[in-house]
Amino acid sequence: MSTESPPRSGDHVPAQPAPPDPTLPPSENEQSFVVAPRSASRSGGAFAMRIVEQYALAVLFVAVVVFFSVLPKTSAIYIQPDNWRNILASQTVLAIIALGSIVPLVCGQFDLSVGSVAGLTSVLTAMAYSKLHLPVIVGVLIGIAIGAVVGLINGLVVTIFGVNALITTLGSASVVIGVESWITGGSSIVQGIPTSLTDFGTGTWFGVPRLVFLLALVAAAVWYLLGHTPFGRYLQALGTNAEAAQLVGIRIPSLVRRSFLVSGSFAGLAGVVLLAHSGSGSPGVGNAFTLTALAAAFLGATSIQPGRFNVVGTLLAIYFLAAAITGLTFLGVLSFINDLFTGAALVFAVAISALLRRRKATA
Amino acid sequence: MSGAEGGPAIAVPALRLAHLSKTFVGTRALVDVDLTVQPGEIHALVGGNGSGKSTLIKILAGVYQADPGGTIEVAGHASSDGRLAGSRVEAAADHWSPNKAFAAGMRFVHQNPGVFDTLTVAENIAIGHGFPTAAGRIKWGDLRRRTQELIDRFAIRATPDAPLIALNPADRTMVAVARALQDVGTGLDSGVLVLDEPTSALPAADIEVLLTALRRCAAAGQTILYVSHRIDEVLALADRVTVLRDGHRIATRPAKELTETALVELIAGRSVATDSRGTAVADGSDVVLELHGVHAGRLHGVDLTVRKGEVVGIAGLLGSGRSTLLRTVFGAVPIRSGSIVLNGHMARFSRPGQAIAAGVSYVPEDRGREAVFAGQSVRENISAGGVMAYWRRLRLQHGHERRDAVAAMRSFLVRAASDKAPLATLSGGNQQKVVLARWLRRQPRVILLDEPTQGVDVGARQEIYDLIQRSADAGAAVVVASNDFEELVRVCGRVVVLRDGRIVGEQVAPNLDSHRLTELAYRSENAA
Repeated sequence: MSTESPPRSGDHVPAQPAPPDPTLPPSENEQSFVVAPRSASRSGGAFAMRIVEQYALAVLFVAVVVFFSVLPKTSAIYIQPDNWRNILASQTVLAIIALGSIVPLVCGQFDLSVGSVAGLTSVLTAMAYSKLHLPVIVGVLIGIAIGAVVGLINGLVVTIFGVNALITTLGSASVVIGVESWITGGSSIVQGIPTSLTDFGTGTWFGVPRLVFLLALVAAAVWYLLGHTPFGRYLQALGTNAEAAQLVGIRIPSLVRRSFLVSGSFAGLAGVVLLAHSGSGSPGVGNAFTLTALAAAFLGATSIQPGRFNVVGTLLAIYFLAAAITGLTFLGVLSFINDLFTGAALVFAVAISALLRRRKATA
Repeated sequence: MSGAEGGPAIAVPALRLAHLSKTFVGTRALVDVDLTVQPGEIHALVGGNGSGKSTLIKILAGVYQADPGGTIEVAGHASSDGRLAGSRVEAAADHWSPNKAFAAGMRFVHQNPGVFDTLTVAENIAIGHGFPTAAGRIKWGDLRRRTQELIDRFAIRATPDAPLIALNPADRTMVAVARALQDVGTGLDSGVLVLDEPTSALPAADIEVLLTALRRCAAAGQTILYVSHRIDEVLALADRVTVLRDGHRIATRPAKELTETALVELIAGRSVATDSRGTAVADGSDVVLELHGVHAGRLHGVDLTVRKGEVVGIAGLLGSGRSTLLRTVFGAVPIRSGSIVLNGHMARFSRPGQAIAAGVSYVPEDRGREAVFAGQSVRENISAGGVMAYWRRLRLQHGHERRDAVAAMRSFLVRAASDKAPLATLSGGNQQKVVLARWLRRQPRVILLDEPTQGVDVGARQEIYDLIQRSADAGAAVVVASNDFEELVRVCGRVVVLRDGRIVGEQVAPNLDSHRLTELAYRSENAA
């Protein structure tokens, strides 16, 4: 998986798609596409542009961290290892949700139910532990299975009835929230959560939150799925040109269904992690993750592999948002900054990725 | 050319083109064309592939700029309320523009009439003209009244509030005509209506309905320039016919003086000896693909046999069913009746994946929309749909994939900066070679090519012909559909002519003749 493109200047653009008029003679010069870069300085400029684009978010992240570490008002708390352990651990749930959500996004489908699904599974898993006294691993599997079922239902509705994915998952998110408060009656489940689970959710190994190791596994899994399996390649193809994807033999409905199954399963896992980290299954907390997860996914698509949803970019975006919001909170800015910053980042990121995609498609 | 002007030029012509030429890099699409359209006349413009008729229409619309030296002259027209809106316009053809064309009263309705199926007739009419409003609110009463007037004037079988989807196709086209003509006057003051292949998307039964409606318009004084490739239609409708061939005006004749044979003769020209490279394949060679009485989409009972190593051409005009034929074999169009036999086995493909698994490859006509993944790399485009081949030991073997892609680029003469270059950075010819590489490198048994050199420059064209021949030599059965009959003569060993979903003729190399193919493709009665 590489997005390296050849040195090129922006002004020489081959007419695409080719005009259907057969009376049109060739207007392009074949020779101009032969290997040699046109001019060293221009291609150097293009190369530099690409590097800037690729690492802009990383630079921004570092800049934010340095800023709050140096700023006298925040420096003292901000640079504390505890602060960083907290940021790393607390973002795990969000990161798993976001990584799962990029799977359908790659093939052009939104899953707006991911946050609510995570909320539902955290509550249901908590109930399962507290009422049935299940072994830890069984509870974890139940959590993932619940997410998978909701994802599968989303996928079936989208592919069988042809309902727009935005509407389908917006609706299922609401249904999930409803089911959650119906089952819990609005109260949190705090008893009977296995301590081995909460230990994993709050403890550290070698000074690093244990959840970070889990996140690394999830990130590796999504990275592998998108870049190193035919499934991932078919998703990319479908996201680029559905018509052509169908004509190279890709079975679109089944692919879309599986992509929702994956995002739902990861949301289910995220729910279990939420339970492990917070120690209780509280209704009504899940839905808030959705918007931030999407913001991170889109923001991530503007970097590392610009124009594509990608794992490293998504993680970078999550920690960038967290580092900035934490710093601003230490500055004394009120909690509304969270919503403000996340919302603005989402719209900004979507605008940039739309621009990148358009440029890539017509470059 | 000995252009015998049919009608005596008594009145001021509604439209006069003089010395119109258009040169693209390397080719002359139009050479010194004169054309005069009289007021209230239906003037047909006909010509084969590459004749220059599309170029001429685009110049009239102001989309292309003509070469300096030509003139375009349009008689004035009145506005819909009877006032004189535009007086006579005469302009240098190289300074013509869409605005000038509009101001001069020229109105265009294209092949795809651009109407909105879910909106009502009145809304469709208003969208071309603006909604009448009072204080920002749409005056529906006014709009309905105006629409009813247009419905009456153009004899459209509908009410203003009917959604367009409820209308039959001919009436939908007439709504587009009414929309185009609503702001010009009536009768001889109504400007010039240009209709570009308006019947190509209509079912046969609706064509006559549309022609009747157009005749009524002309009788009321509407001047019409009618572009079509359907000979029967043109002869039934037009007062005069102008024939273009290779960018030249060949003749302008009254339709009454023409027969189908004579008109086809004018369109096709004299038989030109084309260098035919295709070779007929001996009957003894294995049959790979058989179609028996296939009905699907536009196809009405097609029989076809293609042998190993053979390149068979499907010669057909727009709407003849040539793309449908290929897509049916590929499993992308459901088959109604009849059967397809592949290597002696019944093939019932309900989706392309099954056809691909059986060794069938298909290169679609519309490269940008149906074949390429523009934002993806050359490598990803080459292995698209075939990545399973690299799925080994639970991961994609990227190194293997890259080596294959690079080898395919070399073998299929793809010129690109690297296998990682985004496909969109390649020229049309190289993109097409990437698509060919995607399919042909798998050594398919059946290769279906739809307009394989569309939007491809001359140099790459020859390379593509060579690649097609190479696959045939390697034992593939190749079917090439095209409306460029010269091209078919060059690459095919045998050509069948498809018209209105039926095969109406066949030629075998070395007796391929694009002139004869043109005749067969254009004639409306079943003459062999």
